[in-house]
Amino acid sequence: MTQLVLGQVLNGAIIGAMYGIIALGITLTFGITGIVNFALGEFMMIGAYATYALAERAHLPYAVAVVPACFISAAAGYLSNKAFFRFTRNNLVNGLLVSIGLISIFESAALLLWTATPLEMSYVLPGAIRLGDVGLPKMKLVVFGVIVVVIVGTYVALARTWLGRAAFAYAQNPEAAQLMGVHTPRLETAVMLYSTGLAGLGGALYASLYSLEPAMGGVYVLKGMEAAILGGIGSLMGSLWGGVILGIIEAVGSIFLPTAFRDAYGLAVLVAILLFRPSGLFGSE
Amino acid sequence: MTIVRCLLLMFAVVALGVASVGAQDVVKLGQIEAQTGPNAIYGWMSSQGTALAVDEVNKAGGFSVGGKAYKLQLIALDTRGEPKEATVQLKRLIEIDKVKYVFGPFLSNVFLAVRPYAVEFNGKILMWGGATRIHDYIGTPDHDFLMRTWNWDTGPNGFGELMVDQLVKAGVKKIALLYQNDQGGKVMEDIYVAMFKKKGIEARLDYFEPGTKDFSTVLAKIATWKPDYLFPGYADSYIYDIVRQATEAGQLKKFFLVRGSLGPGLKNKDALDEYVVYVPKYFEEAEKKDPKVQKFIASYKAFYKRDFPYDQAPLCSSSCYDHVYMLVEAMKKAGTVDDPAAVKKQLMSMTYDGLWKIRFDEKGEAVFNFDVVRLRKGGAIEVTTVNPK
Amino acid sequence: MKLGTTLFVLLAALPLAVRSDFVLTIFIFTFIYGILAVTFDLIFGFTGQLTMFHPAVFGVSAYATHLLVVHAGLPFWLATLPSAAGAVLLAVVVGSICFKFRLKTFYFAVVTLAFAEMIRLIVLNWNSVTNGTLGLVVSGRPTFWWPGAGWVAVRGPVAWYYVTLVALAVTVLVCVRVLRSWMGRCFAAIRLNEDLARTLGVDVFRYKLLSFAVGSALASFAGGLYGYYTGYIDPGYLGINQSMEILAMVLLGGQGTLAGPIVGSLILTGLPHVIDLRGELRAMLYGAILIFAILVMPRGIVGSLVAWRARRAA
Repeated sequence: MTQLVLGQVLNGAIIGAMYGIIALGITLTFGITGIVNFALGEFMMIGAYATYALAERAHLPYAVAVVPACFISAAAGYLSNKAFFRFTRNNLVNGLLVSIGLISIFESAALLLWTATPLEMSYVLPGAIRLGDVGLPKMKLVVFGVIVVVIVGTYVALARTWLGRAAFAYAQNPEAAQLMGVHTPRLETAVMLYSTGLAGLGGALYASLYSLEPAMGGVYVLKGMEAAILGGIGSLMGSLWGGVILGIIEAVGSIFLPTAFRDAYGLAVLVAILLFRPSGLFGSE
Repeated sequence: MTIVRCLLLMFAVVALGVASVGAQDVVKLGQIEAQTGPNAIYGWMSSQGTALAVDEVNKAGGFSVGGKAYKLQLIALDTRGEPKEATVQLKRLIEIDKVKYVFGPFLSNVFLAVRPYAVEFNGKILMWGGATRIHDYIGTPDHDFLMRTWNWDTGPNGFGELMVDQLVKAGVKKIALLYQNDQGGKVMEDIYVAMFKKKGIEARLDYFEPGTKDFSTVLAKIATWKPDYLFPGYADSYIYDIVRQATEAGQLKKFFLVRGSLGPGLKNKDALDEYVVYVPKYFEEAEKKDPKVQKFIASYKAFYKRDFPYDQAPLCSSSCYDHVYMLVEAMKKAGTVDDPAAVKKQLMSMTYDGLWKIRFDEKGEAVFNFDVVRLRKGGAIEVTTVNPK
Repeated sequence: MKLGTTLFVLLAALPLAVRSDFVLTIFIFTFIYGILAVTFDLIFGFTGQLTMFHPAVFGVSAYATHLLVVHAGLPFWLATLPSAAGAVLLAVVVGSICFKFRLKTFYFAVVTLAFAEMIRLIVLNWNSVTNGTLGLVVSGRPTFWWPGAGWVAVRGPVAWYYVTLVALAVTVLVCVRVLRSWMGRCFAAIRLNEDLARTLGVDVFRYKLLSFAVGSALASFAGGLYGYYTGYIDPGYLGINQSMEILAMVLLGGQGTLAGPIVGSLILTGLPHVIDLRGELRAMLYGAILIFAILVMPRGIVGSLVAWRARRAA
């Protein structure tokens, strides 16, 4: 039993990291630009399918395919921002509707291009590490490592550099930031590019573990949102912690209670946190 | 304003297009399947095969019934798996398009929603689909319009019992069922939990939510029970991930399936021990020996200009390619295109030899030949074709 | 009001001119979703609370109505009352929790979504009562009293058309009464500036809860009607995409108005059937229309019309 629990704690943490990278995208976008990008799951999907195309059709090695895939997602994000999202700044409901529209468009485009048949990439790093009875797939560990590095790296980059301070100044007071010399439209574009690129990276990593479907993004944006809120919107490390905690709660909850209610465990904790500490575990209000 | 103009323009173009088809006498075929959406696996192949068959029939000059020449027109509507969509679509097909022959649905929740409306047209339409729930209604009063185009698991010609008997022969004692928590899963539960009990195999059932991608937790739970085989759900979209994750974690390596394709087994062939699956037709093998299958594959590739979907093709066993041809033959034999009841009578007495050898039992449920494919570690494949009597 | 009455008369006369079952069906769905959209707007457009709880109310009352009819032998209309009461109870519990903790817009949406999802999971798995994913097949029909014929069952598109039209009209009337009363004024105050309203002595908690409860009560009737009309109830009624559809209808039509949600409902219900394209292309067009509408007409169709008329009058 303890082996089972331990195995699931580790597994939950890894799955949670995946939620975390989407959560980071959400927290950055919403925290800095005030735009609600509920379609972030679609950019994840673009990154996943782009990786698939480059690795399977163009026969690039996986690690090489991931990089252009992120750029493709970022490019899609750039276009979406330029055309639509930047008009929804601080308008939750408009942003939501634009997101719903984009989700419809991207998902249908993926269906047209790839059909609903699930696509599986050739395995990148098959095999698992054994800890007693527990088998932990090697690729999952790699994915976890990459995500942690990326999130911590983002945190360090933003907390310690001028760019980061500018970003948060902008979040606080756009006019003042502009007066202080921060080039605001460029900042907004940069945030959109980076967050959708992150989602694309999440998708590329997802592709190495699971089969791809056009509808894959839907679940992740919801979980990402949960994780972002749990960790505290605006807190970068919070998005990683929120994701990991969410993943662990779901995994461990499913051991002792019915698996059918897996989503509910995370939701219940989320509601509790929101009621008693709305700024999330690591956020500051 | 421009968007209104655009919409009007599109509408006009489409209306013109539709009108111009009516030049020759036409028999309209309606289709309600999920071409898109999360369950598109159960509608996509049907829509592909039907369209191909209709095109072939028309290219060959159509067909003649009672001295008159006819062509086929397929109106394929995408239900997206949504019952509400399907209801309106069916009304549109029957009322506006005056369709008498409806292909589909394969999804049970869609069927349940359209059934009350279809019942009102009993005698005036023919509806044949693969939905498992159709089994509950065929042969019942007011449901003469209904036929089911897929094999049934239990019963004298059922493949389910045959498959389970194989397990019994192999000395299997414990089997873990892992199904999707939806219509398909529940029906499978009703069929197979009872069957395993009858045959003396201990069965344990776990459900997962539609949309699940990571099965590590439930697989780990199952592994502690140490079953002989794992019997995973019914949609490829899940089976790929289940088989991969199960073999990667290393404790569950033998798989038994009555839905889904061989694809997941092939992908993981070096990590698993055994993978036994019921497949309406193992196309890769059939292609080597059956000229009809070869022709079908070639036609498909020429028409759609894409690779042949080997793993999805078995789903063309339901309301698909063969069935278009069957319908044409039945209309010819009945001497009419307007009387679905007469056409159904012919279908019920026919045995059609196409990609599959299809006939219908006394209630109107399809019986056709199928394959049982056994895949062993390393990729050795053993195919057994079963021809029901 | 005048516009509303004219519209009602026109709609009532429609089946006399249009015989097509297909068109009538679209209108029936429009009316039922219209009830959901209008009541959602009561909570969202008029009181400013973005709720994602509507599908839960919709679904629970659909199940409750049917189960009461089948197991308690109640006639349809009578069964809708306890169902509405049950829906209101749920809404009050969830609402109290949310409003007590003074959740702000975004977090309120998330928490109501979380509760709706949890209820959906319960409905999905409570097989003995709800039959889980298999859903419930509804074979009964609502009945009403027709002079001369006694108790008649609602059968056929024309009858359903009138039943749902009347239901929608009643919903709208109730909303109009509520909005014109002191309740409506408090809702508006809360929407415009919650803190200010509080300082002015408005019991914000109470009125938010009232708005939530009234909206949910009225929406629950839509659940019973939809279940009986389509003949099939499944846990999908409580899904998130229902929330999205309702939101899209309200935003497209115009939030903060009563006609807007209905217009939105008509467009989004009818659109997929008017556009004769392949499934995927149609969905893309749908998405494009949504985006276009919200960016070009952020106030929605009716909202923009109202604003345009006001500008012309000035």
